[in-house]
Amino acid sequence: MWKDLADLLFQAYEQYSLLPLFIEIALAFIFIAILSTLIAYSAILFKRYRAYVYEKRLAFISPKIEDMITEQVLLNPNLGQDIPLENIEFDPAALNDKIYRKPFVRQMLIDTLIQYRKNFRGEVGELLRKMYLDMGLDKDSFAKMKTLRWERKIKAVVELTQMDIPISDVTILPLTNSGNSALRAAARNAYIQLSKNEPFKFFDIATEPLLPWDQLEMFKIITTTKDIAIPNFSRWVSYSPNKSIVSFCLQLIAHYDQQSAIPAVMDLLANKDHYFRANAINCLGKLSAEVAEDKLVKIYNNQPLNCQIEILKALGRIASGKHLEFLKSEFLYSSNFDIRMNASRSIIKHNTQNSRLMVEELMEMTHDENQLIIKHCLNPLIKY
Amino acid sequence: MIKTILEHLQVIFEKTVYIYGVVLLIIYACLALMSYYNVRRFLKKESYTDYKVIVGSELAPGISVIAPAFNEGLTIISNVRSLLTFDYPKYEVIIINDGSTDDTLEKVVKEFSLVKVDFAYDIKIQSKPIRGIYKSTDDAYAKLVVVDKENGKSKADATNAGMNVSSFPYFLCTDVDCILHEQTLQKLIRPIMEEENHRVIATGATLRMANSCEIDKGVIIRIKAPRPLLARFQELEYIRSFVLGKMGWSYINCVPNVSGGLGLFDKEIAIKAGGYDPASFGEDMELMMRMNRYVHDNKIKAAIRYIPVTLCWTEGPTSLKVFMRQRTRWGRGLFQLMVTHRKMLLNPRYGRTGMIMFPYNFLFELLAPFIESIGLIYYILLAIFGLVNWPYAVILLIFVYSYAIMISTLAVLWDQMTVQYYKTWTDVARIASMVFIEMIIYHPLIVIFALRGYFFHIAGRKHSWGNMQRTGFKSASASANTAAT
Repeated sequence: MWKDLADLLFQAYEQYSLLPLFIEIALAFIFIAILSTLIAYSAILFKRYRAYVYEKRLAFISPKIEDMITEQVLLNPNLGQDIPLENIEFDPAALNDKIYRKPFVRQMLIDTLIQYRKNFRGEVGELLRKMYLDMGLDKDSFAKMKTLRWERKIKAVVELTQMDIPISDVTILPLTNSGNSALRAAARNAYIQLSKNEPFKFFDIATEPLLPWDQLEMFKIITTTKDIAIPNFSRWVSYSPNKSIVSFCLQLIAHYDQQSAIPAVMDLLANKDHYFRANAINCLGKLSAEVAEDKLVKIYNNQPLNCQIEILKALGRIASGKHLEFLKSEFLYSSNFDIRMNASRSIIKHNTQNSRLMVEELMEMTHDENQLIIKHCLNPLIKY
Repeated sequence: MIKTILEHLQVIFEKTVYIYGVVLLIIYACLALMSYYNVRRFLKKESYTDYKVIVGSELAPGISVIAPAFNEGLTIISNVRSLLTFDYPKYEVIIINDGSTDDTLEKVVKEFSLVKVDFAYDIKIQSKPIRGIYKSTDDAYAKLVVVDKENGKSKADATNAGMNVSSFPYFLCTDVDCILHEQTLQKLIRPIMEEENHRVIATGATLRMANSCEIDKGVIIRIKAPRPLLARFQELEYIRSFVLGKMGWSYINCVPNVSGGLGLFDKEIAIKAGGYDPASFGEDMELMMRMNRYVHDNKIKAAIRYIPVTLCWTEGPTSLKVFMRQRTRWGRGLFQLMVTHRKMLLNPRYGRTGMIMFPYNFLFELLAPFIESIGLIYYILLAIFGLVNWPYAVILLIFVYSYAIMISTLAVLWDQMTVQYYKTWTDVARIASMVFIEMIIYHPLIVIFALRGYFFHIAGRKHSWGNMQRTGFKSASASANTAAT
C-alpha cells in the first residue's frame, strides 16, 4: 500500500514538474492556502472550545476554592483570639485535597488568594499568606521565575509581591534593568514593595528608562504602600544620570512637598534639555518655592515657549505677589495667546486685594480678546 | 511584425499582472505574520495590566474628546451621555454642533443645563466661525463643552474647531454617533505612554459594526454579528483591515491611516501639520500623511500604533446607495491624497513612509481597482477570442480565491485570539461564512465604487456629502419589552 502511495505521489510530482513555473507557484500557493485555512478554522473551533471548557471548569472549581478559603481563613475560629499566626493550623484534609494538585487549580488558587489579599489586610491577610506558603504555592511562583518566558516571570514577580514573599536582590535587581520594559517595570515595582531597607536602591543603578506608563503604577505603589521609607528624592535629582528617574523624582518631590529638595531642583534650571527644565519649573511651582521666583523671572526671556508657560504657572502657584507686574506686562504685551492665558490665570490665582484690583484695571484698559481671556479665566464653569 | 510585437506585449502584460498579484499575496502573508506577533505581544502585556492604576492617577495626561454632530437631534442625548462615561481621570468632551438645521443644539442645551459662556480660544487652525460655546451649570457635566459653529460642510472643519477649543495635549477624534468603550481612553493612551524610543503621534483601535448589537442608553449591552448582509461584509472587512492589516503595519511602524471613527492624536503635531483639510475627501488619512511628513521634515522620531481590541462600534450602511456614496468618497479621497503627496513616493527623506507605506498604498490600494478591471476585461476578450487555456485559468482563479479565503480566515482567527466578542458560535459562523462569498459579491462592489470615486475626482465632479441615513440601534430595553409582550 505504501509503495502504491509513494508511486502516486511520485507521479503527481512528475506531472507537477512538467507544468509552467507560474502554474507551479499557483498550485503551491493553493496548497498552502487550503492547509492554512483548515488550520485556522480548527484553531478558531479549538480556541472557542477551550474558552468554553475553561468557563465550565472555572464555574465548577471557583466555588470550591472560595468555600475552602472562607472556611479555613475567614471563618477560622482562631482568628481574633490573640493566637500567634504561626500556631494557627489549617485542616490538613481541606488543604491536601487531590483537586489542589492540578496545575490549573493551583493557579486559580493563587489568583483567588491574591484577590482576597487585596481586600483583606491585617490578620486575615497574613493568614491568607500562610495558606499560600503552607500549600507550597510559593514554589509554583518561584518555578515561574526560572522560565525564560518574560510574561511568566512577570506573573511570578507579581504573585510573590502580592503575597509579600521576599525575593533575593541577586534575583530581582538584575531584572530592574532588564531590556524588556514590561519585566523591568514589574521588577521595579516588586523591589519597592518587598525591600524593607532600601526600596529605592535600584534608582542608583537604573540605566534603562522609567516609562511614563510605568511611572503611573510606581507612583501609586509609592504613595499608597504603608510603612515605606520615603527618602529625600533630591538625591537622585542631583546625581542620577537617568533622565526619566529624575523626572519621576520631581513628581514625587512635589507630591511629598519636599521643601529641602528646592536647591537641587533649582540646579536643573540650567539643564540643556528644555523638557527637563519645564518639569523642574513645574515642580518648583508645586512646591510654592518663593526662593525660586526671582530666578524664574530672570531666565524667562531666554526660555522656549513650554518653559515660559511653566514659569507663568509657577508664579501663579507661588503667588507671593512680588511679580504681579511681570505677569501683567506679559498679559498685556505678549502676542502669544497661551502666554496671555496663563499670565491671566496666574494673576487671578493670587486672589489678593492687589490682584483683584489688577484684574479690574486690566478689564478696563485692555482690548476685547484680552477681556475675553480674563472672563474665561474668571468663569467657574470653565475648569481647564 | 506587428503580430510579434503584440504577442510580446501580451506576454509582458500577463507576466506583470502575475508578478503584481504574487507580490501582493506575499505582502498579505507578511502582514498576517507581523500582525500575529503584534497581537500576541499585545495579549501578553494585557494579561498582567491593571488599568485601574491610570484611573486614579494624577499623572495621567489629559485628553480632549472631539465629536462633531450634524443634525443628530434624534440620538444626540444618548450619544453625549455615552461619551461622558469614560473611565479616565482627566478628559473633556467637546461636541461640535456643525450648524445643524434640526434641534440638536436646543436638545443638548436643555438636557445638560448649558449656558453660553465667554470662552477664549486661539485659532490655531482655520475653521468656519464659532457662534457660541456652552458649558453646563450642573457639576455632573463639568467635562462637557458644546461648540456651536457655522456649517463647514465637512467633519474636518468641525474637528479643527474642536482642536482650537480643546485644552489637553491629546485629542480623541470620533463621530458623535459612534459607541465607544468606557476604557477607550486608557487603552489608547497606553501605547503613547509606554513607547521607549519614539514619540507616538497617533494611536487607533479596531472598529466594528454596531448594526445588530444590543444597545441601551448609548452603551453596548451585547455584541452580535450584523444580520444585514452588507453590514456583515463590512464587519469582516474591518476585522481584516484593523486586526490583520493595521496591526501588521504597526509592527514595522508603517501604519497608513488612523480611522476617523476612532483615533487618539498628539495635538501639537496635528496642529503643526495644519490640522484636518476640509477640502479632502479622506481627511483622516490625509492628516496622517501630513503628520508623517511633518515629523520627517523636522527629524522627529515618531510612531503610529494600533491595538487589536475593539473600542468603537459604528453603524455601517445597509443600503447599497449609501454604501456606494461612502466608498466613492473613500476612493476619491485616496486618489486625491496620492496626487497631493506624490512627492513622498519612493522619497528616502520620508523613511518608511516614503519607501514602504506610500508605495504600497499607491501600487496595491490605488492601482488595484484599475489593474483588476483591466485584467477582467482582458480575460473576457481572451475568452471571446478563444485564447483562454481553461485548465490554467481555473487553477489561477482557485489560487486567488483560496488565498483570499485564507487571509480573511486568519484575520477572523487573530480577532478571536484577541477577545471573543461574539458569545455564540452562530455569530462566529455568520462572519466566517462571509469569507467564501465576499470575493464574489462584495469585492466587485468595492472595486466599482473606488473607480467611480477616481472618475469623479478626475472629472472634477462636485461632491455632495449627502446624509448617512441611520436606521438606529436595536435597544436592549426595547427588545426586552418586545419579548415580554
